[in-house]
This record gives sequence, structure tokens and C-alpha cells, in this order.
Amino acid sequence: MLRPEIITQLQEIVGKPAVLTAKEDLTSYSYDGTATWAHLPDVVVLPTTAEQISRTLKLANENRIPVTPRGAGINVSGGSIPIKGGIVLCTTRMNRILEISKGNMVATVEPGVVLQDFNLALAKEGLFYPPDPQSFLGCTMGGTVAENAGGPYCVKYGVTKQYVVGLEVVLASGHIMKLGGVTVKNRTGYELMMLFTGSEGTLGVITKITVRLIPLPKASKTMMAIFDDMVAGGQAVSNILAAGVVPAKVEFVDNFVIRRIEEMTPMGLPVDANCLILLQTDGSPAAVEAEYVQIVDILKESGAREVKVAKDADEAMAYWKMRSAGFAAVFGAAKTVMAEDVAVPRDKLAEFIKKLGEISERTGFFIQYLGHAGDGNLHPAIFTDINNKEEFARAEKAMEEIFEAALSLGGVLSGEHGIGLEKKRFFSRAMDPVALELMKQIKKMVDPNNILNPGKIWEEEGA
Amino acid sequence: MTSKAEFEEVKKFEKDLGQCMKCGFCTFWCPVYQEERIESSVARGKNMMVRALLAGDLEYTKEYAERLNKCTLCMTCTANCPAKANIPNIIVAARADKVKAKGVAFPYNIVYRWLLPRRKLFGNVVRFASWFQGIFLPKTQGTIRHLSMFLSALGKGRYIPQIAPRFLRQMVPMVNKPTVANETGIRVGYFTGCMTDFVFPEVGKKVINFLTRHGVEVVVPREQGCCGAPVFLGAGDLATGRKMADTNVKAFADFDYVVADCATCSSAMKDYVKFLADTPERQEAYTKFAGKIKDITEFLVDVLKLPPSAYRAVPEAKGKKVTWHDPCHLNRHMGITRQPREILKSIPDIEYVEMPNADRCCGMAGSFSIYFYDVSQKIADKKMAGIDATGADIVVTDCPGCEFQLIDTTMRHDSPVKVMHIMELLE
Repeated sequence: MLRPEIITQLQEIVGKPAVLTAKEDLTSYSYDGTATWAHLPDVVVLPTTAEQISRTLKLANENRIPVTPRGAGINVSGGSIPIKGGIVLCTTRMNRILEISKGNMVATVEPGVVLQDFNLALAKEGLFYPPDPQSFLGCTMGGTVAENAGGPYCVKYGVTKQYVVGLEVVLASGHIMKLGGVTVKNRTGYELMMLFTGSEGTLGVITKITVRLIPLPKASKTMMAIFDDMVAGGQAVSNILAAGVVPAKVEFVDNFVIRRIEEMTPMGLPVDANCLILLQTDGSPAAVEAEYVQIVDILKESGAREVKVAKDADEAMAYWKMRSAGFAAVFGAAKTVMAEDVAVPRDKLAEFIKKLGEISERTGFFIQYLGHAGDGNLHPAIFTDINNKEEFARAEKAMEEIFEAALSLGGVLSGEHGIGLEKKRFFSRAMDPVALELMKQIKKMVDPNNILNPGKIWEEEGA
Repeated sequence: MTSKAEFEEVKKFEKDLGQCMKCGFCTFWCPVYQEERIESSVARGKNMMVRALLAGDLEYTKEYAERLNKCTLCMTCTANCPAKANIPNIIVAARADKVKAKGVAFPYNIVYRWLLPRRKLFGNVVRFASWFQGIFLPKTQGTIRHLSMFLSALGKGRYIPQIAPRFLRQMVPMVNKPTVANETGIRVGYFTGCMTDFVFPEVGKKVINFLTRHGVEVVVPREQGCCGAPVFLGAGDLATGRKMADTNVKAFADFDYVVADCATCSSAMKDYVKFLADTPERQEAYTKFAGKIKDITEFLVDVLKLPPSAYRAVPEAKGKKVTWHDPCHLNRHMGITRQPREILKSIPDIEYVEMPNADRCCGMAGSFSIYFYDVSQKIADKKMAGIDATGADIVVTDCPGCEFQLIDTTMRHDSPVKVMHIMELLE
């Protein structure tokens, strides 16, 4: 519990209505998009300016109060859970798009701007911001930068860090620091911006973001390839990339999801197919025409039973809606769904899929997965029940095997969700010990009192 | 301590309660969240509060009730939910559980439990109040008065329509025979709803006129009462809601069709079976009743199948630009979007324009707008922006509740746009 005078001081900083202390409100800031993590904060603060955030952090720093920065709280890593209580610093009310510059092809936004709102505003100007975590309807720009988020488009266009050109960050001390600018090129000293991009709220609070933009692609085409063999599907993706074609999106949907989606909203999917691969090409109309013909050829050569090409924008939209409903299909399927976020090198995709099959056989757990096949980023899921202690323990072990398999192929623990709480027990295994030590030193230097999102990313000493 | 038995209504919707996997997509669609941007505004947050209550982590408090009430039940969250979780079901059920455990608060207990179910008395009280509004309150514009007495709870500086000098039930006979020779043989019961009866009787007269001119016999059963929406959906008082439901089911027992011009009433009456059926008899009666209910636009287009030539604009609407607002209860609750547009597009003497976000909630939602008028206004301001973008002269809809809100909104914005019920537009 915080002392009453702390609450009073917070109210002085942001105004009384922007400080929430009712238990009902604390409850609604105790969770994120994960199934298992929850912890009540002591207070929720809803600032509207960097200056308010600066004063809040200064107060917290002086009184050693944990602060969990939070956007929409829809991340799936446990990252925005106030695991040590204290203050939830929620930026959802800082939601102004400050500037869209067509001339510079950049835009500057406040951290609470919702990604979809941003892209709708950009589309009016014929512009496009590609990083597209599938939570785009809710996620905030601050959250996507703090998590260095990615999504389907990243196979061609790269992840968030490839777009951030300027940040304003408030440090634990309360200092407001400006990094980068509005130029795409910037070779001035250390790349400190990247320290905060993907920092999961542990180093500072992002209060302003400048990102570079690209022109909205003029044309696009969506295809759906049906495979009877998942491994062949994975190989087909590698074959396409090896042929020098980079589709805008390459997504993977397994038989489990196909069947679940047909149950939920029938749309005539082939329920007997082992897997579906959804692809999109985009660019100039001529390039799209040429590219899609080549992709269809490679898919067929690689063993696709059938390749459907969406007739029009509506059909394409239906395919992609199906893909984004995929996670709902998965998460509604069991009491507890352990879904992970490993990524393997693109050319190891087929091998990884094979290994997942072996793990499934060995452990007896059905392993479901969908994901971003184009960048080797899959979301394997194990269905279990957290209340069944024995089974849950075995499920955790099976998940560990999946991590091991991904790492052994030169992959990584998390492609896009971040480490947060969910994966921190595996973190030391996936990280060079010297690098881990350096990270801890950086954290200590930037946030000496460990007030910013404490308890995340790596296991604490003595814990 | 609260016992498990107190959650029996929520438990009926356990599937919805468990279905939410906290993706948070509802934040993008929720009109209340869009204004407040806090988690307790949105379906995910409300559902998690109810889960916490069931787990014993929260109690029935003033704060809990306030957050639960801050929902327009517009269903936009459900319509866009990847997991198809119907959180409005949870909200209504949780309101009901709270009423069972704690009762209804004053002064709503007087209005809901006692006045609304007594239609005649309610009418007298409204009438009594309407005398006062004439004495004490200056007329602002036409028949719109600033803060009418009888609904001073609704007031807070709001523009609300005057209580009609004569109620619909005093103006029209019970049985209205077809006025044309080619009778369709169809006889309908007309559910007038409180708003049409007391505030917009001219809409009711138009409905009766239009139907009788197209060969339909229209009966206005005198025993009918309030649909119960504010009572069982808004306040969670299922016991009183049941009485009202039974009254209406009985009043319309002899009809194959129950036609209504209020989307909220129609949808609430269809919802009797979902929320109020506590016995097999009621289950059967309410299911049967739900099947008879037709919104007026649905009845004209799908049952009577009138040709486009049947629809002509009243003289004052001729040559005007007209846009349509989808009431939540018509669109998402009953799935009716095509029929009103078919009617509007058939009218030769008007220019129909589609409004951007035509299906966005207007923020009225009955008692929601009493409790939370400030949020309600902000939601309505976004609706106004949509109306303005069309350049329309007239906005029509099919729910007197929405009309109520749109009148207040256009007047607050000094907008010349006229608000009409779709039936008022028809010659």
C-alpha cells in the first residue's frame, strides 16, 4: 500500500480524475493478454503530458515505488503486469497524432495513439506504417515501440525498430530526453534510441515517437495455398524466399485452426487440409502481377494441392480476417493455452516443423501452431489446464523442449512478443552470459533504484 | 460475504464469461472506451470485474455498480469480437444479480418497480408533469423545451422534446380497419412504446395510417405496457421485468404479428426469452412472442413486400438530402440494416446519402444517458460529425430513443439538421 500523501501528490500532478484507486479499477489494470499472470497495482495514473510523467517518475524514484508503464495492456508477455504493485502509468490518454509529414515521409505521435487509428490517418495521405502486430485494433504506438513489435508485414518490411527515427523518453530520474530526430539517416554517437526500442518499459517511459513511413502500396494480391503436408508447406515458404521473391506477408494456419474457424464462422475452408499458407504480394500493379504468377508456380512445384487467388479486395479481406481470428480459435480451445513466440531462421522452417511433430509424439501433447511463416516466427501452442498441476508441469516441460528445438536451429526465444514475465525463466539460457551481464549493468545505470517495470525480462538475483 | 447463489444470472452466461481471452480488440470499438480510455469502460474490463466478483475478490460496491452501468449495450464489442464473447449478456446478468442481492436504488425503485408497470398511472404522472412544463419553462424552439419537468432526472441542461398535449392512446381507436379495398387479410397488434405514446404520437398515427392504407388492420391493445427495457436491461430488475413481459405477451396473444416503431422496444421484447424466462411456461410463451415481433421497416419490406412505388416523401421532405442512423437495437441486436435502406432508396423525391459510421452508437441508451450525460454527449458529438459529413438536411432513424438523443445533439450544435422517425418521412 502506498502512503496517502503519495496519492495526494499524484493527484496534484495529473489531476484527481486521472488517479484511480478504487479496487474495481485496480482489478482492471491487473492483467494483460496472457492467461496466467495478474497482479493488482496500488494506483493507476493516467498522464496526458511528458511533464506529468516526469514528475510522477521523480516522485516514484524518490520514494522507491515500482512503476509499470502501460499502453492498452493487450501484450501477451506479462510485460505490462504490475507484478510488484506500485504505480501503473497508463498512456492511453496521450493519443494525439502530432504530425504527419508527407515531405519528410515521417510522422510524430504520442505513445497512446492506437496503431489502427494511426494507419487510418496515414491512409488518407496515401502513406503506410508497415509493422503490424495482429493486435493493431488495440495496441498503442508506445507499446509497439517498447516491445519492438512485428507482424505479418515484417517479412518484407521489417519490424518496428526499422522505422523508429526519433524518441522522447522520460528517465527514472524524471529527466526528459530527446533522441534521434526526423531524418532517416542519423550517425550521431551511440544508437540510444534502440536501447529504448524493445526495452519493455524497463529503461524509460516513451512520450513521443517519430517513425518513418512508406507510400501506401498501389496494388496487392492475396493467395491461399492448400497443403496436405505441413513440412512441405514450410519448405514451400523457404523455396519462395530462396527464389528471390519477397511477399509482403506469408502466414501459416494449421488444420486445427482451419477446423475451428469453419466451426465459428463457416467460410468454405478445406477442413481436410493439413495446413494453409496465406500470402500477399504488394507494390506497383505490374510487379504484383509478375510476382504472384511466380509465387503460384513455386507453391505448386513445392507440393501445394491447390492455390486460390482472391478475386477481389473483399475475398482477400475475408482470408486475412480468418487469419487474425486464428488466435481466438486457439485461445478459446482449452482451459489454459500456453502459446509461444519462437522464431527460427527462415530456411530452417521445415526442419522446425518436423521437430515439433516429434516433440508432440514424445510428450503426448497436441501442438497447435499458426504464425508468420515468412520470417520463421511461429506461435506453437499447447493446450492444458493450469489447475491440473501434474499435467501443467508436463506441459511446461514440453514447451521447454520447443524452446530448445528452436534455439538448437539458431532461432530465438521470442520473435515479437517480448520476454516480460512469460519467458524470463528461459532468458539466461538463450542469452550470451556476457551480454546478459551488460544488460543488467545498463539497467542499473539508467534506473539505479530499479523502479521501472521491475521483475521483468530476467530472473532477479536471490529470487 | 456474498454466496455463490447470488450469481445465478451471470452463471447462465458462463460461456460468455469464460470466452473472453482478453485480446482487448473491444477497446477499438467501444464508444465509451473511446471517450474515457480507461479499462473499466470496456467489455474486457467489465468482464474481468465480474470474474473478480465471482472469485470473491470484489464486492458489490457503489464503484462496481457505476462501472457496470457505464455501458450502452450497443453490442459493437460483440459484433467485432474474434472470440464472439457476448459481454453485454454478462453486464445485464450482473446488474440483475446485484439487484437480487442488494435491491434497486432510490429514486429508480419508485419509477421502475411501481410507476412504469402501471401504464395508466404513468400516463397521468407524465400528464401532470406536462402541465408544469408549460407553466415554468419557456419554450425554446417549437415543441422542444429546455429541461422538461417530468424528466428532470433526465435534464442536466439537455434539450428534450415536450410531452405531447394528447397521448397516442387518446387519439386513436383500438381497432383501425384497412382504408383501401384490396385488403391483405393481415391483422397486426401495434406495440406503441412509451416514447411514441407520450412524446411522439404523430409517429404512431403515421404508422397506423400507413398500414391501414396498405390493407392492414391495426389493433392497438389497451392493456399493453412498457416494454421493460429500462427495468430489466437497464436496472437489472428481472422480477418487475417479468411482470411487464407477461402483461405484453397477454395483450398480444391474439396476433400473428406485433409491429413496433421503436427498435429498443422490439429488441427488448425479443430478449424476454433470454433474460426473463424462469419457467418452462415462460420459456415457451416468450419464444413464441419473440417470433411475432416485427420492426416496422422489417414488416413493410419483408412481410408486406411493398413495391418501391409505395414509398413517397411527405411534402416538407421533398428535394431534401436524407441520411440514416442505425439504432444499435435495430442493427446489431436484431440484424436489421437492409430494410430501412431499401425504403429510403425507393423514395424518388429525396436524395439518400449513407452516413460514415451510420451504425455507431448515438450514446443514448436510456438510463445510461441519465447517469453519464457527459459521456453520452461526447459519444453523440462523434455521431454529429458523421451527420455533418453527409451534408444531409434530415437524419432519420427507427428508434424514438435515438431520436431523443439526436434532437438534443443537433440542438446543442446549433445544427439545422432535422431529426425524424423514418415513418414520419413517408407520405
